[in-house]
Amino acid sequence: MKKLLYISAIFISVTASAQPAVGTLSPEITLKDVKGNPVSLSSLKGKVVLIDFWASWCGPCRRANKHLVNIYPSLKKKGFEIYGISIDDEISDWKRAITADKIQWLQVNETGGWNAPIANQWKIEQIPTNYLVDKEGKIVARDLEGRELEKAIDNLLKK
Amino acid sequence: MKKIIIIIIVAVAATTAKAQFTKATLQASGLTCAMCSKAINDALKGLPFVETVKPDIKNSVFTVSFKQDREADIDAMQKAVEDAGFFVAKFIVTGVFINTEIKNDEHITISGKEYHFLNVKDQVLNGEKNLTIVDKNFLTANAFKKYTASTTMQCIKTGRAGGCCTKAGLAAGTRIYHVTI
Repeated sequence: MKKLLYISAIFISVTASAQPAVGTLSPEITLKDVKGNPVSLSSLKGKVVLIDFWASWCGPCRRANKHLVNIYPSLKKKGFEIYGISIDDEISDWKRAITADKIQWLQVNETGGWNAPIANQWKIEQIPTNYLVDKEGKIVARDLEGRELEKAIDNLLKK
Repeated sequence: MKKIIIIIIVAVAATTAKAQFTKATLQASGLTCAMCSKAINDALKGLPFVETVKPDIKNSVFTVSFKQDREADIDAMQKAVEDAGFFVAKFIVTGVFINTEIKNDEHITISGKEYHFLNVKDQVLNGEKNLTIVDKNFLTANAFKKYTASTTMQCIKTGRAGGCCTKAGLAAGTRIYHVTI
């Protein structure tokens, strides 16, 4: 029995280093914005936050941006924010995409593509990947999009 | 002295057709967005001769540059894409050629490897050129059909030397890359 507990303890500690799980507190992230100023995820505490991993060269990410651009202004007024993390290697590509897609929300970047430290830490295997975080900083959902995403944000804002 | 050097250069160049491949441009397809997948990126980057892998959204292709001191393995790249769960829809390899005489629907040895040119004009390649690989699994099924129709040689079907090629001194089973420009 003791052995079993020991094994499961090891198992838990191993999985703990995997990607952040739904139901757990989001790890802190601090990355630089377009102007080079560090922006911390924790500075958004009290807001419902969508952590959105993307890159300028990712077609589905760009299509998702279009949807977010539409829903963002009204949700922002109610206490919603997007923490967009680009893994673009070329900063200029990232900036160009922000302008082209008319992105108004928070944007940070870490170069290195798939091997950017933040992508490794969050075990990003494909993009877009997003995490929905509640007002207390707890991860409540992963990879929601479209109507489902809007509904989930609405519910969290009401809480 | 200058004349001698020129003669030597011409002599060396004439004896063997040479090409140094520098990069490949490949399009991968699948059920999901290939460029959005880390797996395909890792698979290509894991090849010993690959220097960088860059996604190009405009043309929806990967640009894969090769290390200078390593020989690129075209088949290994195709396999890497497949192992990552995708298939190759287009594969163009860029090389710098020196005095390489090519003829339509004929085999030629370039830097120790066999190539079979299809749908080309007879010409001498010099400088940077792009070769499109038209072997099975390097392009869409429809495009492959088009190229199989452009030759009577059986090797297009397998990418390997068959009965028709052994006459030309090739061992049966030798890999032959089918290409066009």
